[in-house]
Amino acid sequence: MQRILKVAKREYIETAKTKTFIIGILMTPIIIGGIIFFTKAVSGGKAGPRPPIKVAVTDLSKTLVEDIKTSFDGYNKRNPNRQFLLQTLDVQQDANSTEEQGKAKLRKGEFDVYVVLEEDIIEGPGKIRFYTYKPKPANVDALWTIENFFRKAVENRRYEIEKIDQKLLARLRNVPLERLEIGAAGEKEKVQSQGQRIAGMMVPFFFMYLIFMGMVATGQHMLSSIIEEKNSRIIEVLLSAVSPFQLMAGKILGLAGIGLTVMALWCGAAFAAARWQGLNVGVGPELLVYFVIYYILGYILVSAILTGIGSVCNTIKETQSLMMPVMLIFIIPLMGWFKLVQSPNGILARVLSFVPPVTPMVMILRLSAGSGVWFVEIAVSILVLAASVLIVIWAAAKIFRTGILMYGKKPGIFEILRWLRQS
Amino acid sequence: MNAVLLDNVCKSFGRLHAVDNLSVKVPAGSVYGFLGPNGAGKTTTIRMMMNIIRPDSGRIEILGDGKIEQVKARIGYMPEERGLYRKMTARKVLAYFGAIKGVSDRELIERIPRWLQRVELADWADKKVEELSRGMHQKLQFAVTVINEPELVILDEPFSGLDPLNQDLLKNIILEMRNEGKTIIFSTHVMHEAEKLCDYILLINKGKLILDDTLENIRSRQSAHTVSVELEGDATFVDRLPMVTAVKSEGNRLDVTLADVDTQEFLQALMQQARVKAFEVKVPSLHEIFVNLVGVSDAENS
Repeated sequence: MQRILKVAKREYIETAKTKTFIIGILMTPIIIGGIIFFTKAVSGGKAGPRPPIKVAVTDLSKTLVEDIKTSFDGYNKRNPNRQFLLQTLDVQQDANSTEEQGKAKLRKGEFDVYVVLEEDIIEGPGKIRFYTYKPKPANVDALWTIENFFRKAVENRRYEIEKIDQKLLARLRNVPLERLEIGAAGEKEKVQSQGQRIAGMMVPFFFMYLIFMGMVATGQHMLSSIIEEKNSRIIEVLLSAVSPFQLMAGKILGLAGIGLTVMALWCGAAFAAARWQGLNVGVGPELLVYFVIYYILGYILVSAILTGIGSVCNTIKETQSLMMPVMLIFIIPLMGWFKLVQSPNGILARVLSFVPPVTPMVMILRLSAGSGVWFVEIAVSILVLAASVLIVIWAAAKIFRTGILMYGKKPGIFEILRWLRQS
Repeated sequence: MNAVLLDNVCKSFGRLHAVDNLSVKVPAGSVYGFLGPNGAGKTTTIRMMMNIIRPDSGRIEILGDGKIEQVKARIGYMPEERGLYRKMTARKVLAYFGAIKGVSDRELIERIPRWLQRVELADWADKKVEELSRGMHQKLQFAVTVINEPELVILDEPFSGLDPLNQDLLKNIILEMRNEGKTIIFSTHVMHEAEKLCDYILLINKGKLILDDTLENIRSRQSAHTVSVELEGDATFVDRLPMVTAVKSEGNRLDVTLADVDTQEFLQALMQQARVKAFEVKVPSLHEIFVNLVGVSDAENS
């Protein structure tokens, strides 16, 4: 045990010193925080003047142009940095040729948007045709606003005809709603914003992603550490002092320490960010306990698989082909997270809970999604995971023992199976 | 007491019998040379002694213990495939390997500078391993091997990659350790190294034991048979002496191969018939013995 700890300590210190670790893992929350801060700063500030948008309209109903002009003028007064310029394209001979003309001009760039209001738009089934030619992404928000002005104009006209009082309508439509989250009795009730609802949805994903990153990122360190020791022929020198199993256990333990450090930092950063943004992330202490259990078991499972893979390869490149199937399994819960959050007790979630490599990710997702997962399910999933950890360690230790001393050609799957059968 | 005991040890890789029924006893306090051509099974044997690979059958005891992991702290092993962490300093490398070999921190404080001094790397203590030259690298590797001041030192091809000066340095350390009563096993295919250092020689070829004896015995056994003589006058009678089995003439000198007989008797027989100008009992070098025996065993196998 003494030796396992010494190996673990070196692994921890040497990994924590590498540039990839510091940049990749510690900088991540700083970068994410920076991006959030930056976007907030940018969106809060005033944008500079933007080029005006030229809109041409052919109003076949002949009644709406004035209304639209009024709403455009209102907008232009409120937004001096962005102007909407309206011009009309009146019908010369017949409606169709005028529309074709308008489209040609649109292509030439004489205006940015060409709108045709059909004759029976107000009372019949007519349409608004909203033409654009190669719209710029920068104008997408403006196009939205313009669309709305046209729709609103038609809508208002319809109210007038039906003699609906708009003030009355607004009063009828206004149903005040306050989202309140109550804490324990005696605590202050908190008003919940829309952001908090989304955060509530994101928390399970965040936890699952954290587990995923923890397992995979530290797993990568495991691979490069083994490959380094193999390439620089250190393995056998190490084996003069420790047994292959002690070496493997020490490495797994050391990198588990790295993983937990990262978890603590990321969770801390996320918690701090949530506090800073005034979000209340409802995470109970029991979830943290499960988180640690699932993370540690899942991490050991993954790193044991990766020690097996690393020990039979000579370069990082060689490991990639063997890593593929492992990574594919992890992709499943990442792709399906939305479905899993929506029905945390659905069949997909239940089945994936018992597929060992993804058990930690799926179970944490389900638990943090907050709909009572049956306790027996938790217990059984932990047992299945623990059993698979033991089996994988047993197999990995055998592969490791033989693989680390093999240089040159990568052994085939049958040869590896033969090692497993050996004593 | 035996420092190492191998009893009918076998190991095959697929169809290749790397080690075939090998039994060896290495007495404590001796310098034991494992000789053999490339691919003879030296490294496999040593790896089995270190429990790095397991034998298919047979029994291995190291320092009187069948469980090798228990005694690893008392062994210093320098493998043939060797390297060190390139990004660590010489001092840290020694501290780490010392620690995993069970040396206490307190002892390491004293030992690390002492061994760096001994292998003439004191000025390089805080340089990273990647900055050291190949020769320095090898010396540091040796210091790593013995940092736990082991009772049993196993060196697989220790002299490869060392210049003559450093070879001498290493030889002196090995002899010092022998004087302290430590057991040293090393494998090599450089015969004159073995000749200078070893008390015992183990010769293996294709996994099979060919020779296992003290260097003294090997020499006397092998040497008794060849004598080089120079006589005055006619020397044709030598051929007809009863104890002579072959005569090879090289100018005035005659290389005479004798049947199993005391060389003194042969000298007397010569003196009765001619004046003896020179008489030399030929001591074959280990190199010759090696080439001879390996050649014979290869011939038998094919």
